[in-house]
Amino acid sequence: MTLDPRPSTLSHIAVRSITKRFPGVTALQDVSLSVARGELHAICGENGAGKSTLMKILAGVITEYDGELQIAGRSVRFAGTRDAAAAGVSIIHQELNLVGSLSVAANIFLGREVRRAGWLLDDRGMEQATAELFAQLETDIRPSRLVRELRVGDQQLVEIAKALSLRSDILIMDEPTSALTDQEADRLFRVIGRLRQQGVTILYISHKMDEIFRLADRITVLRDGSLVRTLDREQTSRREITHLMVGREIESVRLEDGRCPGDALLDVEDLSLPWPGHARRWRLENVSFQLRRGEVLGIAGLMGAGRTELLECLFGAASPPPQGRILLDGRPVAFTHPAEAKAAGMAMVSEDRKRLGLFSRMTVRENITLCTLRDALRGGLIQDSRERRLARESVEQLSIRTAGTEAAITSLSGGNQQKCIIARWLRTQPRVLLLDDPTRGIDVGAKAELYTIIDALCRRGMGIIVTSSELPELVTLCDRILVLCEGRVTGELARGEFSEQRIMEFATQREVHASAGAAS
Amino acid sequence: MSEFFRKHRNELGLAVAVLVVVAITATLSETYHSAAGRAETARIIFREAAMLGIFALGAAVVIIAGGIDLSAGSIIAFSGTIFFGLLITLAPDDPGTRWASDANLHFPQTDELALWIPAVALLITLAIAFLVGSFHTWLITVIELPPFVATLASLVGLRSLARLLIQDITVLQYGQRQSTITINDELLTSVSRESWWVSCVLWLVLSGALWVLLSKTIVGRHLYAMGGNEEAARLSGIRTDRLKWLAYCLSSMTAALAGVLYACYIGTTSPATDGMGYELNAIAAAVVGGCSLTGGIGTVAGVILGTLFLRVIIDSVAKLFRSQPDLFEGLVVGMLVVLAVAVNQLRSTGGVRKPYFPGLLGLLNVAIISVLAGVMTSVTSSEAKLRNGLLVAGGTLVILGARAIAERVKGRGSRV
Ligand SMILES: Nc1ncnc2c1ncn2[C@@H]1O[C@H](COP(=O)(O)OP(=O)(O)OP(=O)(O)O)[C@@H](O)[C@H]1O
Ligand SMILES: [Mg+2]
Repeated sequence: MTLDPRPSTLSHIAVRSITKRFPGVTALQDVSLSVARGELHAICGENGAGKSTLMKILAGVITEYDGELQIAGRSVRFAGTRDAAAAGVSIIHQELNLVGSLSVAANIFLGREVRRAGWLLDDRGMEQATAELFAQLETDIRPSRLVRELRVGDQQLVEIAKALSLRSDILIMDEPTSALTDQEADRLFRVIGRLRQQGVTILYISHKMDEIFRLADRITVLRDGSLVRTLDREQTSRREITHLMVGREIESVRLEDGRCPGDALLDVEDLSLPWPGHARRWRLENVSFQLRRGEVLGIAGLMGAGRTELLECLFGAASPPPQGRILLDGRPVAFTHPAEAKAAGMAMVSEDRKRLGLFSRMTVRENITLCTLRDALRGGLIQDSRERRLARESVEQLSIRTAGTEAAITSLSGGNQQKCIIARWLRTQPRVLLLDDPTRGIDVGAKAELYTIIDALCRRGMGIIVTSSELPELVTLCDRILVLCEGRVTGELARGEFSEQRIMEFATQREVHASAGAAS
Repeated sequence: MSEFFRKHRNELGLAVAVLVVVAITATLSETYHSAAGRAETARIIFREAAMLGIFALGAAVVIIAGGIDLSAGSIIAFSGTIFFGLLITLAPDDPGTRWASDANLHFPQTDELALWIPAVALLITLAIAFLVGSFHTWLITVIELPPFVATLASLVGLRSLARLLIQDITVLQYGQRQSTITINDELLTSVSRESWWVSCVLWLVLSGALWVLLSKTIVGRHLYAMGGNEEAARLSGIRTDRLKWLAYCLSSMTAALAGVLYACYIGTTSPATDGMGYELNAIAAAVVGGCSLTGGIGTVAGVILGTLFLRVIIDSVAKLFRSQPDLFEGLVVGMLVVLAVAVNQLRSTGGVRKPYFPGLLGLLNVAIISVLAGVMTSVTSSEAKLRNGLLVAGGTLVILGARAIAERVKGRGSRV
């Protein structure tokens, strides 16, 4: 699709010098932008650059701002999300906003339930409609399942389906693929392709450059709340975009080899996790592997392959407890509570930040020091100054962008919140670090920093297990990759043998006869 | 300095509110006009606030930890019964008295008890309260009942149990069924007179201890974390079950302590009525003091001030409404609790500018508040009830109506 720069009166969305200040931060500074009808416009920027804030203004979530917003040539000022929806704008939020105790279908139709005979809810109808939406996304989530039973990736698909069901002509997607594996993301892209044929205007935020260059017509870069530039995709490069985002060059991280893993740190033998009442019977089935000191082991697999379950088993957070043997430093362990795992020197950064990681009523400091308060003790009591110093250390180490250690954690951008949680666990100086999709929502620069940190930790002898929805990430980071499919280990690749294609082959190997470790 | 103000806005606001209420009462009521009257008033306020404050602190810990404990009122009745029951059981016989049913048996002598008797009785009472708290925790963590249900069962059940127990105890010790026990011991009953400060000291000590626990120790931080996000707390290696155990035991034990104090203060325990509805007072004190019922938020200083605020209001109602003050108490307290929490809420969400009376619900509430104001004026005025009521109702209607209309005009303007 060609895009001639049309006069702004014809543009579908026009943002005119919008400024948004939060106490202590200017999230947006005089941002002007116009998006043509039917365009897919990508927004790039570091964590905390103001991307989500701008989208929230467009979607009526934030109602107090300076500046003007025009939709289809008419000046609008939304008083709430309902106004925005009425004007044809819908949004997929970065932070998942679903009601856990309701079914998937009920969530999708929340606020505009399908009714029968005037008053009665038509559950059947809603479930059917939901199933149709999911068919578009080629996913098989049961519409009657409760949302709180879903993993983040599935929840994200529900959010996407919800936004799609609104059939708006402006669709905002704030990091829609952050928890999706490449396969699910591909399905989403096919849906996006269909939407574009229907002429839907899409605003798309992502930290994944591949996606942006695959989808976008134009790319706008934000930095520190200001619009740096808007570029045509054809006339730019990844390099230029990242440069504009960060303001400096980011070398793609090449962790030089020469990491030499030591002796066995963690031995997992025939780990199985039952799945009562499910046709598959096992969430994990006879998983065996070894993690060595100073090694980064990647776990790859599609959604539902059991990556998160595996980490939860190792961390003593699975219920019911798994069967099989786990040896830590040669000694058998059977953790029944994360506290025991933590005491034994394990740490886990879970994938569902909002629900399982964040203490939204606490400050940045409290979120960072929670697991290591002992270090701040003096005579049995927490000493404020010490605790602040510890928190400040972490804020600097991970360059967390915050107004200070006393800022509320919710005032941070998504990626910076994630860094706080990583910092919390790094502070415990674990022997084994379990990272469940740790870079979800983190910008390119911060990712590179995190890779370097992981590399350094591992060189000091820590054993690290990483899962990721992005294969390139695993390929960069890991010494070895274990591939899961439907709860079984279907393949194992050593560093020299990595290729995304082979990983995908293993990840989709659904037959039972594939033997574990076939590739090693 | 400004950071101090921002952080403690809630506490400072409450302190000002307490002073304002006291100032208003002091100007309007003549009890404040003599030094003796002032001293007496202060004493009453502090004594009552201390007794409420003690178990309000316990209730607050549970609320901060993300739960709720509804059983306080019944635990007060129950522990009073246990304490007095133990006293008459342990007390020596009084040879000068005879049972009506059996002339060979004597009544217990409770005028001057040896010191060890109340001490042992107190320890046993607290131990039983610990068991009650542990039972709640088991119901909540193992059987996975919602805290509301588990403690509601105690609220209903424990009072009933106390009423049954007191009959059996009195049959054993007095030879006849009674629904109350009276103790005459000088030392214990002196808390209602010259030893009124005992509860205050206990309140202070407990406040200090809980302040340290909540804001200076790891356990305290973990309590806040659990209240804020229980699942995340568990995954951070926090033993949430043990924390709940601590919280619910603190709550039931503080309630038991208050129960003992109430019983001594009155000198008679009657489980049918003791502590009726007090659990709600405790929760109100905590919430007015800034605790969030969804957990994770609250401070000891806030709870102390919340308690004082409630007691000061109750005292002020008693002084200012000369006839039947107890009838007005509920109305005034209810109103001010809503007001205090609403002010807090609006400040924290920055919603001073938001519309208060949107849509049909808004219009209906303009009417409701006006009628309420009118009715309240009319029941409080001694003469010309109808005229006063209509005047105030009309006035409120005009003011709120103007606001509602202004909101609608402004709303239309900004939604072009
Ligand atoms: N409710 C809030 N209160 C205070 N500050 C806020 C609030 N929401 C956002 N901010 C601040 O505004 C800035 C922009 O945040 P925003 O969420 O828009 O970033 P983002 O570009 O979406 O980042 P990310 O890639 O991490 O999602 C950040 O500095 C953030 O700390
Ligand atoms: Mg964002």
